[in-house]
Amino acid sequence: MSARSASASVWSALRREAAFLARDRSAWAWWLVVLFLSVLAVSAGLDEVHRQKATIAHLVEADRAERMAVLETRKEWSAVYHSFHLTYDPPSEFAFAALGRRDDAAWKHRVRMLALEGQIHERDAGHPVLALVGRFDFAFFAAFVLPLVLIVLLHGLRAGERVAGRHELLVATAAGDSGRLWRLRAGLRATVVYSAAVLPLVVAAGLSGTAAPTLLAACALLFAYVLFWTLVCAVLAAWQQTAEVILATLVALWILLGVVVPAAGRIAIDRAVPMPSGADIVMTQREAVNAGWDLPKASTMAAFVERHPQWAAYTAVERPFEWKWYFAFQQVGDQKAQALSEAYTDGRMERDRLAGWLALVAPPVLLERALQVLARTDVRASLAYEARVRDFHASLREFYYPKLFRDERLEPAAFEGLPEFFPRAAGR
Amino acid sequence: MKRLRVIAGAEWRYWLRSRLALGGALLMAGLLLATTAVTTLRMQGEAAERAHHQAKAEAAFLAQPARHPHRMVHYGHYVFRTPTPLAGFDPGLDPVTGQSIFLEGHRQNTPMFAPSGASADLGGFSWLSPAMVYQLFGPLLVILLGHGLIAREREAGTLATLLAQGAPGRLLLAGKATALLSVIVLMSLPLALSAALAVRDGDPPLAAVALVGVYLLYLSIWGALALLASALLRRRTAVLAALATLWVVLTLVLPAVAVSATSNAAPMAGKLETDLVMLSDLRKLGDGYNVNDPAFARLRAELLAEHGVQRVEDLPVNLRGLVAQASEQKLTDTLNTYARAQMAAETRQAIVLASHGWFTPLLAVADASRALAGTDLAHHHRFLQEAEALRFAFVQGLNRVHAEKLSFSDDIRRSSDAQAEARTRVDASHWRLLDRFAFEPDAACSRLARSQSQWLMLCAWFAFLVGAGAWVGGRLKP
Repeated sequence: MSARSASASVWSALRREAAFLARDRSAWAWWLVVLFLSVLAVSAGLDEVHRQKATIAHLVEADRAERMAVLETRKEWSAVYHSFHLTYDPPSEFAFAALGRRDDAAWKHRVRMLALEGQIHERDAGHPVLALVGRFDFAFFAAFVLPLVLIVLLHGLRAGERVAGRHELLVATAAGDSGRLWRLRAGLRATVVYSAAVLPLVVAAGLSGTAAPTLLAACALLFAYVLFWTLVCAVLAAWQQTAEVILATLVALWILLGVVVPAAGRIAIDRAVPMPSGADIVMTQREAVNAGWDLPKASTMAAFVERHPQWAAYTAVERPFEWKWYFAFQQVGDQKAQALSEAYTDGRMERDRLAGWLALVAPPVLLERALQVLARTDVRASLAYEARVRDFHASLREFYYPKLFRDERLEPAAFEGLPEFFPRAAGR
Repeated sequence: MKRLRVIAGAEWRYWLRSRLALGGALLMAGLLLATTAVTTLRMQGEAAERAHHQAKAEAAFLAQPARHPHRMVHYGHYVFRTPTPLAGFDPGLDPVTGQSIFLEGHRQNTPMFAPSGASADLGGFSWLSPAMVYQLFGPLLVILLGHGLIAREREAGTLATLLAQGAPGRLLLAGKATALLSVIVLMSLPLALSAALAVRDGDPPLAAVALVGVYLLYLSIWGALALLASALLRRRTAVLAALATLWVVLTLVLPAVAVSATSNAAPMAGKLETDLVMLSDLRKLGDGYNVNDPAFARLRAELLAEHGVQRVEDLPVNLRGLVAQASEQKLTDTLNTYARAQMAAETRQAIVLASHGWFTPLLAVADASRALAGTDLAHHHRFLQEAEALRFAFVQGLNRVHAEKLSFSDDIRRSSDAQAEARTRVDASHWRLLDRFAFEPDAACSRLARSQSQWLMLCAWFAFLVGAGAWVGGRLKP
């Protein structure tokens, strides 16, 4: 058979199958269901992102007003003590598709010049019940619901024809390559499902200003994912079994890949990577800060100077209470807890790294995580935000320490130079 | 009765021969065994760890040396919530909310260190618990076993024979239902065992029995759905595909959609937002560190008049301690007003979400399960309230010591020199005013009362489906 006639026969087969599909009312129903669910998922995501942005805009205003009020009513270092600063992590342009950690990890904090370890783990996360049930975002829809749609749609392709008694006839008349017929059928149906799923995503991405490479990557990921499940369904559909056995096997496979492997993996990873308990971090920090009141002032200042040698010449504390000594032992409290705190951060990083490897054998999790990476709503993004809070807190200290140790008067004008928290630059 | 048994027995024989049923049952049993073992071990480990930390925090507080009482107000205290035994079956909100709170003067902190924040992130289903196995995969097994109940007879052509031999449709359906129900009871045995173990470990028997009951009801709803679909649709494949679709919609899609709908329908300000509103209220209360704050002028005048002295130095009590007490009282009243409003908003939102249980039995059974296991929002809120009560008690206790055991003139000069500072230390025996913190889960009655509307929803679902079954049974055709 020449190449031209082969391609012509592919075309005619494609046209025939497409016409066949177009008359299949259940295929249309599924196409509409997928479209509807995808619209639902992206619009719920867009709503949530919109709400989070509004919250941040409101918080930025309220936080500034509150700090102004404090700086007016309090004087000098007491004003510093009482001044909180808002830090936040705005949702990215693609966050609507995968809300990820933003449901149960805090993405907004108010911090002040005191020891940071006691503050950074405070959590203003959303409603616990809502976080537990989980939202209907595109990532969840694509990773967990879409394969089930494919399974229901594709499992009976051959077995259905077999029951109807057309199987042998179809195989016999499909000139030469009988596998092609099933590939074509499965491929067409999967393409329809894919297009129905991806269309709302593209529209929503356009609305929210997602960068083209991000959107393309997401579409490609989804394509690969749909292809994977289509192949799995096609392979199992070729099995000489009744449709119900095939369906049950496919659902069992879904449970295995989407639930059992991740659940077992989470437990295994959590066991393999031990982490200090949060309670130990905060209690260590508290003991260190409170011990500061009773320790000889010189030893607090010595511990402080280890990290900040530039203030070594200014550490004489003469009175029972001096602000520089007070803020110094807050700093020392953080220093004492630092090893534990770093181990905690490293542990989370390491667990996430291993989870990334494990996801390679659990495609639903792999897709969900990949979309979260694109949306910057993954664990790394959450840890990066925490790092930005730490940096900001450090810059507050950098700002105040010269004033504190040189014993400068804090004129109201001095507060105008206060460092500002910059969330990640927009669009990055 | 005998015919009912015959029909049910025939179904059982079919299942025992079917590899499909066997495979499904094995998968379910494996999942249950694994999750029960893992969850129980984890919860026991956490219970031990939290009890250990609680004891350590209490010991650290009591072991503090002599010092100014207000220093102890800021030294603060930690409380930890230990899980209920039934939490081994349904950890509920436990992984999402933190279970430790740092308590200190002038502030209400949030719980910290929720396990979900530190665990490897492998998606929502990776938090598989025995409760989730029942909620998500129990129905699948019921579908697998139940989808062919009538459709198989119809496909094999035996339905006509059965009906022709005089077995009325309703009797046939009842017999099939009995068979499926017996499987559901069998499926609930592992749950019953977990519940029995929890009762041994101290959970109320009533709550444990109700927990088993609510899952029996839930699985029966799915059984009824399977039976109905099997009776209504012609082909077995169609029944299975329809039920699988129904399962996807009711257990995966609708609950998640309900969450999104809820945050639209009942939006709730976060803690930071309410805090910022509250702070402007707090500023009006006066500065508890400043005895000359006009906010405390009346307190001061009344005290002076009561004791017939002119100067605060001549009072038999320390005005600074009294001001601290009055200030903490006012502050806490305001904090509690806002905290109550926040909890009320959370409860409202939870109720809106729970009302979606009318649309999907999964939300209803999940809510009821958390309430009965003592791991729901109400328990979380009570933990916050009890932690707050403890915070207020020890802070005010220390403020009382401040007022009664320190002289005003020493206190006011304590920052002037080391000797003056030493005179403002009180003996460490006063730290014993700290109460022990032990969180007691709700009694069985109030757990049951909280799951009332969920029972109603599930009963309504069940009654409706049984009614539909009776109707279909009367019209069953081959």
